[in-house]
Amino acid sequence: MLLADGHTTLLSESLYATLPFWPLLGAIVAGLLIALRVKSGRGHWPVVLGVLASAGLSVALFFDLGTRFGGAEAPTESPIVAAAEAAEHGGGHAVEPAAEYGAVADGSHADGFTHTLYNWISLGAEESVEQDHWLAVNFYFDGLAGIMLLFVTLVSTVIVIYAIGYMRDHHGEPEPGYERFFAFLGLFVFSMATLVMAGNFVLLYLGWELVGLCSYLLIGFYFRRPSAAAAAKKAFIVNRIGDFGFALGIFSLYWFLRGHVQPGENPLDYEVVFRYAGHLASTEFAAGWSQATVVSLLLLCGALGKSAQFPLYVWLPDAMEGPTPVSALIHAATMVTAGVYMVARCTPIFAASEFALNVILTLGVIGAMLTATMAMAQYDMKRILAYSTISQLAYMFVGLGCAVPDSAVFHVFTHAWFKALLFLGAGSVMHAMGGVIDVRRFSGLRHILPQTYRTMLIGCLALAGVPLLAGFWSKDEIVHAAFERNMLAGVLMLITAGLTAYYTFRMFFLCFHGKLRLPDEAGEHPHESPAVMTMPLWILAIGAVFAGYLGVSFAGAPSERFLMLFSPHGYFHEYLHHSTIGHAHHGAGGLWLMYVSGGVALLGILVAWLRYGSAPEVDPDQKLLGPLFTLWNRKYWVDELYDVAIVRPLRGCGRVFYAMDNYGVDGIIWLVAGVPRAAGYLLHFVQRGALQTYALGMALGLAVLLLLWRWLATPLG
Amino acid sequence: MPALLVTFLVLGALGLFLALPGGRRCSNLLGWLLLAAGGACVVALLVWLISGGAELGWSIGLGLVGLYAALRVITHQKPVYSALYFVLLIVAVTGLLVLMEAHFLAVALVMVYAGAILVTYVFVIMLAQRPDPAVYDIRAREPLWGAFTGFLLLALVSGRLFTGGEPAAAEALEPALGPSGTVEAVGTLLLTQYIVAIQLVGVLLLAAMVGAIAIARRQVRPEADQSDIAEVAR
Amino acid sequence: MMIAYLLLGATLFALGVIGFITRRNLIVMFLCTEMMFQGIIVTLVTFTRFPLAGNPATLDGQVFALFLVAVAAAEAALGLALVVLLYRYHHTLDANSWRLLKDE
Repeated sequence: MLLADGHTTLLSESLYATLPFWPLLGAIVAGLLIALRVKSGRGHWPVVLGVLASAGLSVALFFDLGTRFGGAEAPTESPIVAAAEAAEHGGGHAVEPAAEYGAVADGSHADGFTHTLYNWISLGAEESVEQDHWLAVNFYFDGLAGIMLLFVTLVSTVIVIYAIGYMRDHHGEPEPGYERFFAFLGLFVFSMATLVMAGNFVLLYLGWELVGLCSYLLIGFYFRRPSAAAAAKKAFIVNRIGDFGFALGIFSLYWFLRGHVQPGENPLDYEVVFRYAGHLASTEFAAGWSQATVVSLLLLCGALGKSAQFPLYVWLPDAMEGPTPVSALIHAATMVTAGVYMVARCTPIFAASEFALNVILTLGVIGAMLTATMAMAQYDMKRILAYSTISQLAYMFVGLGCAVPDSAVFHVFTHAWFKALLFLGAGSVMHAMGGVIDVRRFSGLRHILPQTYRTMLIGCLALAGVPLLAGFWSKDEIVHAAFERNMLAGVLMLITAGLTAYYTFRMFFLCFHGKLRLPDEAGEHPHESPAVMTMPLWILAIGAVFAGYLGVSFAGAPSERFLMLFSPHGYFHEYLHHSTIGHAHHGAGGLWLMYVSGGVALLGILVAWLRYGSAPEVDPDQKLLGPLFTLWNRKYWVDELYDVAIVRPLRGCGRVFYAMDNYGVDGIIWLVAGVPRAAGYLLHFVQRGALQTYALGMALGLAVLLLLWRWLATPLG
Repeated sequence: MPALLVTFLVLGALGLFLALPGGRRCSNLLGWLLLAAGGACVVALLVWLISGGAELGWSIGLGLVGLYAALRVITHQKPVYSALYFVLLIVAVTGLLVLMEAHFLAVALVMVYAGAILVTYVFVIMLAQRPDPAVYDIRAREPLWGAFTGFLLLALVSGRLFTGGEPAAAEALEPALGPSGTVEAVGTLLLTQYIVAIQLVGVLLLAAMVGAIAIARRQVRPEADQSDIAEVAR
Repeated sequence: MMIAYLLLGATLFALGVIGFITRRNLIVMFLCTEMMFQGIIVTLVTFTRFPLAGNPATLDGQVFALFLVAVAAAEAALGLALVVLLYRYHHTLDANSWRLLKDE
């Protein structure tokens, strides 16, 4: 089949456009099952099939786009398999980057194309209908969308399958709300795919809010638990703060561009906006602030909220109240990367504002350090992972701030695999321990959870950034870019990498090493999770090992091959250049950094081994660090600070407004209602049903009217 | 407003208040004295205003008879007497109509009122009246408010007849006379110009008759409970 | 002359109003409404007999009074039927014993 401009493709463009709707269909069917009260324990099937369909489509799309961008010949093996290999093994289908490199000019996002489903809203008529600015429901296909869709749908598929096992009790019976859970998951995949595929900012916003809604629904899945309900509300409200800025950013984009676009163009379409990015950069908004800076900072607000970045990160640790597959899918692998995706998508705007980039870099560095230290003093396994997620997202923001969005997206990609793996592993532990997740209460689990132990080890190594695993490649690129841009940022990132390795393995050793210790909740014979849960772990483990190789180049002359191995010129980056990101500038060299950061990671693991290798029951760090440990354990009292500085004043304001509303506004209403009511109360004494009283009233009323008439009609005298 | 008229109104209001049935025998007499004084005031006013001969005498005489009859209708404690005094009122009004040459109307009034309506009243009174006087006949309800309101209305209406102390309209003293309401003149008018209206009045009377029969034939249990009353009220 | 007749009509009407308000016997109250009719008939005939300047001298007022008599007859028939009915319920003619229009 042919794509818009004659490229041979596997599937038609309009079929790709149906990609988001299969999980939605599954969710609707699952919802109907709930409505019809069908409790068969097989309510997962519609959603699993829907997500599988999406995954298949996105794999094919990834491959098709690669063909289109690279101009490479059709592969000899089965395209789906080839693309899947390309996704998981990396390098399975690498085009020659050296040949392609440089051939793609900056601004090669023209390679992307828009597929319009239908016109949605008219943004105001010009002289004729053809010249209307139409807000369309359209999808934008380019390298970035292809990559995001690929890992979003694949990771979703794996996690949805895992959830089939997780959402059951020890007897294999589904938990209450089983169908509801899968319906929400399907809705989430639909929303995330819409977010990623959207071709204009309004549709992006739609998907953005939809994933927020799904996140809210799933964090509050156990809504009878007050802490879960509170966490859901917190996530929603904190996100709303960011989304307010995001909405303002979209408004200002429209405001700035509507006077400049051609008739018939929609000033919020990606294609149009990024064509006019130069215009935004060169137009001053106010005192030294270009329009690009204003838009960037406003959009950044949304990204900070959605990606849980400093200072809006506080909702993510609490979000771990949701079921573990949700934590893995939404709050680690996919949704939280939406902020990174959005900033990367808007690279033409952000890159035009040095100030915005510096803000992103600063916030990223602060967030990474802050949350890495917090993670060092936590005991809740999922919370440790949550803080590490924030920290890793901060890495991505550092990458964005250093103007290497392709590296940031690369880290998004690799991070999704190993973080999902870690969360699912934690879920497996939780499943076996009867819901206990506090690492102080058990140890030595490697004896009873061998599969989980091995896969978790792979995940931890990847997260720690041990060389040759997925996390290493992407993290290293970002650290390198940070060194290129700012020495201090680079050093801090390097230290954070060491801390990451340390706290990851602190958790790992406390959990799996030492002598076997079990909590009471685990029951008599805790056992390994069923295959439906361990198989996804292994699939993700494969991703955690090999995903990084997609960004590594194996081409070039044999003598240079070793050096090229450590340069960000792999298939992944090449692919990404065919997107709105364009061709980012990467500094040369950086081989020394490979050794240093690999060493730092290994050092962190070594220290963790020395201190926690035997899983001591008394935390040695608590004695060593003392008050600092308490500071970290209490998360710098940021939640309390927010409570005092923001929540309480707002609540006070709310009380004032409530009082104004209750007594002021409502008082007027009550007055309006009360005067006739009081009059009626007074008059009801007259209303005795006595005929002659009424007659007297009529006669008196007539007399009064006549008096008035005489008094008004006749001049005095 | 002439002072005599104001005096008449005040005396009339006070007198009527006292004369209304209220169980005060001595005050009734005082009330009638006040009413008589008020009547004298209004006669004096009319005589002073109007220079007329026998017609004025007839009309004032008939008017006083009518007023007395009207007062007795509303002050008498026995409904039968009220009805009979009402006949007297009709007679007085008929006399006035004859003075004003409304012959047709005078005859119709005597026939319809004295002949038909009042007979019905007397029948109903005989049906419904107990031999001993009922409390609702010997105690008036809010006589002060009633008298005040009625005379206030009268003051407001009759005040329009005068501007200052003089009659408001010049014709009031020396009016041009209109046509006389002979049987021929009124009958011609009724059967030509008002032919549709007279037919409609016939329909109205028929409907009233049917309705009266339907209502009066209804069988009721004595001392019915409230729901039945509500039903009737509906 | 005119003033005398008009005064008499107005007085009859006012006395009817007073009687309607103060007398508690339903039959007497009805009589009082008839008395108000009498006041109105006198007034109408007066204006027919003594037309004001500029008004055509016609007999319309007397015809109107005739219709009034007819309506009064219909009203009396219906009203007395109702009075009889009400009397059969309560064995009283007291207007105060009927208070169904009350706001409870």
